[in-house]
Amino acid sequence: MKRGLYLLRFFLVVSPLSGLVVWTFGLLVVAASVLIVVAPERTAGALAPLLLLQMFAASSGFAVPARRGHYDLLLTRSGGRTSIALAHWLTSISTGVASWLILASVEALASGRASISLASGTCAAVALVSTIPWAVTIGLPRFSGGIGWLLVLTLAGITFSPGGIDWLSFHSDRHDTLVASWGFFVYPTAAVGRHLTMSDTVVVAPALLVAVGSMAIACAWVRRAALPLEAAQ
Amino acid sequence: MIALAVSARDLTVHYGRRRVFQRVSFDLGVGQSLGVIGPNGSGKTTLLRALAGLLTLRAGELRINGLSPHDAYERTGIAYFAGDATLPGSVRAARWGSLGNGDAVTLDTRPIRALSRGTRQLLGLRTALGRQPLGLIILDEPWEGLDPDAARWLSTILETKRDRGAGVVLSSHRLHDLAGLCDMYLFLLPRQATLVQSHDIAPGAPVTADLLAETFDRLRGDASSLRAVS
Repeated sequence: MKRGLYLLRFFLVVSPLSGLVVWTFGLLVVAASVLIVVAPERTAGALAPLLLLQMFAASSGFAVPARRGHYDLLLTRSGGRTSIALAHWLTSISTGVASWLILASVEALASGRASISLASGTCAAVALVSTIPWAVTIGLPRFSGGIGWLLVLTLAGITFSPGGIDWLSFHSDRHDTLVASWGFFVYPTAAVGRHLTMSDTVVVAPALLVAVGSMAIACAWVRRAALPLEAAQ
Repeated sequence: MIALAVSARDLTVHYGRRRVFQRVSFDLGVGQSLGVIGPNGSGKTTLLRALAGLLTLRAGELRINGLSPHDAYERTGIAYFAGDATLPGSVRAARWGSLGNGDAVTLDTRPIRALSRGTRQLLGLRTALGRQPLGLIILDEPWEGLDPDAARWLSTILETKRDRGAGVVLSSHRLHDLAGLCDMYLFLLPRQATLVQSHDIAPGAPVTADLLAETFDRLRGDASSLRAVS
């Protein structure tokens, strides 16, 4: 317990998030809160930028600051690198998750219940943007996962649907499952506000499995990674 | 007192295809200190980072108290500091200082990047050395940037911790700081690492910076001759 608290304290001091990202979350929360109160029917739209920013916030990158020696104090303490990786992930996503919960509270206050913000589709989308970008960016510079995701989204849009991005909308009933799963994986924001049915769950499950798998691979990478000092190479 | 022994056998580290050093061996007993001396690029920083368990060895075996470095973290307090450049510049000095053992190392609330180099170095050293208990101290160029008072403080605290049983591994270009503090010296030269006990450098007398420089020059000359012959 004491060890876990130290890990969290360390990453609160040496935050994986840049100040710019934290301030942007603050601005988004204010803007989205106003929108939710003034136009509750646009709550899903108000949450979309938050998910996009969370994608970048989670892309915090572990290896670069570790190779600069910023985490030496932590890495040469007891605790195990898997715990260190998980603490890094938690602190990377915490501001985004807190912002999402604040918006859910605003929605609940404005509409009586947080039916959009806490819908199962929204939860799945938040889970996806909070995990895969972190895992992908573990050995790369900050924001790499978010940038890569945007590239995939753009390329997928061009490749699959030159005339528009209709295929990205969450339609488990219209597309075959594989295409719908791919659509959710590339553009999870489409699931915001949706209460997932059984057929939707089949669409969402592969992406969530990929998320869990990528987290496991990232933790294993941190556990085994050699961290030479940048200046010494 | 923490029983500690570092046993390094034929340590070899590569960065990709480039060999940084090879077949480095030494034993460090409880309450002993080792000085690592070598020219720029000889692998001093890399060796110390490997001892701290932050690098994967290409070959060789490293044991701290009979355990791998990762397992040794659990039982042996390790203080490792690789210089002021490794401190995150945006973090406030007082907050960084609190990460050692929780006590305030400094009340300075400026970001680390706003501090002078010596103050940053001192902050990093105080934070790393503040850990309790401390069984192994690994410091890379610890005297760099320190003023005479701070340098004296560092030498004194290293002697105190060593006398209380901590193993100490130091690298430095400042031979007058290393001289007299270490029980043995590892001279890291390209393609060659030589371990020399201090009593072999100066039998019955304290090791001086001049004697260290003399030994270093002799070993470097030997290494050059060997390369010329081969």
